[in-house]
Amino acid sequence: MRWFIWLLFIVPVVYGDDLLPDERRAIARDPIYGQALYSLHSGEYDKALGFNYQLRKEGRKGYGKVLDIHEATAQLGLGMSQHAQKQYKRLLSDTRVSFLPAPARAQAWFYMAKHFYNKGLWDSALSSMRKVNGSYLVDDLKDEYHFLATTLELFKGKPEKADKHILNIKPDSKWAVYAYMNLAVSYTERDIHISKVEAVFNKALLLVKNTNKPEALSDKINLMAGQFFYATGRGRSAIKHLKSVSLDGAYTPKALLTYGWALTEQWQYHDALQPWYMLKTNHSPLNQDVQETLIAIPYLLEKLNAKVMALGAFDYATEQFDDIYRQLGESAIRLNTGEFIEPLMAQQVPDRWGAFEAVDLSLPNHPDQIYLKDVMSRGNFQGELKNLRDLHVMRSQLKSAMEELKAFDQTADTRAQEYLIIKKEARISKHQIDLASLQSRYKKLLGRINKAFKNPDGSGLASQSEKDQLVSFKQVSKQISRLSKRPSLAEQSYKDRLRRVEGVLKWTLSERYSERKKQVSQNLAILEEKIRQTNKQFKAAQYAYTVAPKGFNGFKKRINTLTKTYEKQLAKLDKVYYQQREKVGSIVKVDIKKRQQRVMDYQLQARLAAARLFDETSNEQRIVTGELRQ
Amino acid sequence: MKAIHSFASSLVLFVSLCMSFSVFAADQAGLDSEIEELKSEVIELNRELFDLEEQLLYPATTSFAVFVSMDAVPDFKIQSVKLSLDEQDVTSHIYRDEQVEALRRGGIQKIYEGNLKPGLHHLKAEIMGKDRDGRPVKRMVVADFGKARSSKYLEVKISNNPNQNKPDFAIVEWK
Repeated sequence: MRWFIWLLFIVPVVYGDDLLPDERRAIARDPIYGQALYSLHSGEYDKALGFNYQLRKEGRKGYGKVLDIHEATAQLGLGMSQHAQKQYKRLLSDTRVSFLPAPARAQAWFYMAKHFYNKGLWDSALSSMRKVNGSYLVDDLKDEYHFLATTLELFKGKPEKADKHILNIKPDSKWAVYAYMNLAVSYTERDIHISKVEAVFNKALLLVKNTNKPEALSDKINLMAGQFFYATGRGRSAIKHLKSVSLDGAYTPKALLTYGWALTEQWQYHDALQPWYMLKTNHSPLNQDVQETLIAIPYLLEKLNAKVMALGAFDYATEQFDDIYRQLGESAIRLNTGEFIEPLMAQQVPDRWGAFEAVDLSLPNHPDQIYLKDVMSRGNFQGELKNLRDLHVMRSQLKSAMEELKAFDQTADTRAQEYLIIKKEARISKHQIDLASLQSRYKKLLGRINKAFKNPDGSGLASQSEKDQLVSFKQVSKQISRLSKRPSLAEQSYKDRLRRVEGVLKWTLSERYSERKKQVSQNLAILEEKIRQTNKQFKAAQYAYTVAPKGFNGFKKRINTLTKTYEKQLAKLDKVYYQQREKVGSIVKVDIKKRQQRVMDYQLQARLAAARLFDETSNEQRIVTGELRQ
Repeated sequence: MKAIHSFASSLVLFVSLCMSFSVFAADQAGLDSEIEELKSEVIELNRELFDLEEQLLYPATTSFAVFVSMDAVPDFKIQSVKLSLDEQDVTSHIYRDEQVEALRRGGIQKIYEGNLKPGLHHLKAEIMGKDRDGRPVKRMVVADFGKARSSKYLEVKISNNPNQNKPDFAIVEWK
């Protein structure tokens, strides 16, 4: 039984770390797989699982069985141990190497063993652990594997096998400390010689510096050692260890109480009063160690023959026990109304959930604060409380998702309205008409231009009189040719004169051609630019027109369906949440009953002792009075 | 007769107690599996919501995203990344130890997602970290890129340069 308590006590400390599955880089920059890997390793298991679901949905290939291991790991991280177990069993049922490579297989067996260990199923954990081939495990997991194997072998009474595993743990690993702690506990159970037990405790203390929280862990080891030595009647060794526990740690009350008892055993009554007064003054009476101190102090006072003081202390203890009993009763009532657990849930960090996220137990200004810390930090209670916290977080996630869906709905509405406006404006048809008219103008202009500029001699740009002149020039030229049958000197002179006149006209026309062509080209460029702009506007309007409907079409339906699913899910979750709250409440209620019973026992002892002391002190008075009379 | 009656009644009581206990135990186990089922359903639902959000808020025509990836670089431990898009700060991220480890193990982080108009753009990434000796390292990488009417993905890539035994920083475009 002691084993069970210590091991579970260690579990939350040990398993606060990340689960580290196989490495595998994203194939061809697959963003979904890459993000899944990132979320998994950074402890965001819900996101990792979401990405994993998407990868499966999209049927991505090339990842082999890695996705299965990732899924199981994320499920373990989220406290979905039954799902993870199914996944691992399925993975491991096929013994073909090609189906699951040896490193992945070793890792899967390891996680399976860890899952059973966390659940307290020692036999299953050990048989899974024995199937792990340690040589295939990645370095990060090797020490943890040997630690778990050590613990399980010790628990099953196989110390020789456990020793082999302990020797394989690297001394600078944090797992070595936990392994030695468990070995020490095992020695105490197996009546091993006291010097060996002390040596193991000292070894654990030496290795403590390799852990994340060395102070807290060394306090714990010292307390364990102190309690062990006190229980075996070695007061001096107990005192040595208990004195090393810090005065402001989680283990202070228990250490002060045991320290006082160890001193009492050494007949150092005066010295024993000091730690107990310290405990009584600095800690709440709801602490069970303080409650024991309340009757331990008058017991010591009686030993010191300060009977009247002892009587007063017993009376004070009786009053305190009444008060404690009442307070515990009120806590039980608050459990029924939800006043006890709801404020605790309300203060949890949103989106931080899963098996490795500790529940924040600080509840300032709440009447159940002390009690909460005391009872809820116990290892065997953590699982249920974490489940309740997870349900609470999921509930707030569902609620905020429904708010988001409302916002999405509004976005879709806004887009629908935008679309209607675009449609009303008929921007596209307007641009289309403009563009068509511009294009027809351009076409006409181009036809005319082509006609006018067909002949580069500029004849196309001649005026009517100039055209007549050109015709007459041709006629004159013909007439001159006819005259050439009778050659004379005058003929050449006519030809020259005609060429000169014709040349002057053609020069004018050519000048005009180039001038006009320049102007027309400029105009044409302006028109072309206008067409380009209109075309651009047309295309933009066309784009807006085609994009806008897609911005909301289909989304409304999806949003509505999703909202309904969320509503159903929330109703389902609410039901389970209250069932789980009831479950947590019933566990706490049983604990409260036990505490009340213990307080009643103390009170009975205090009352009996007070009555006896009252009787003794009164008799003394009577004897003194009688002697005086005589 | 009385004895038989009392025996029978105590037997009935015992059986009913046993039954109620087994029903209670089954209920408890059922509740645990119901919680697990709920977790799975909520995660799937949230994934659907996330899909919807991406499609609605970041349509394929304007969607733009930046990712961060890092090889197992022995000489560099990333601390933060700050992104500026077209001379405007858009996002920054400070890394926790486990996130650094996640990047080293091949994870890819989507650091920014938004909408971007088609055209030419400019991305600047300011990466801060520490080297093996704990000295601060600050690097700036820039990229000019064009955005068409389709999704655009860029990656801030930190890789190991084995020749110089130091990290290389770059912005890579996903095709």
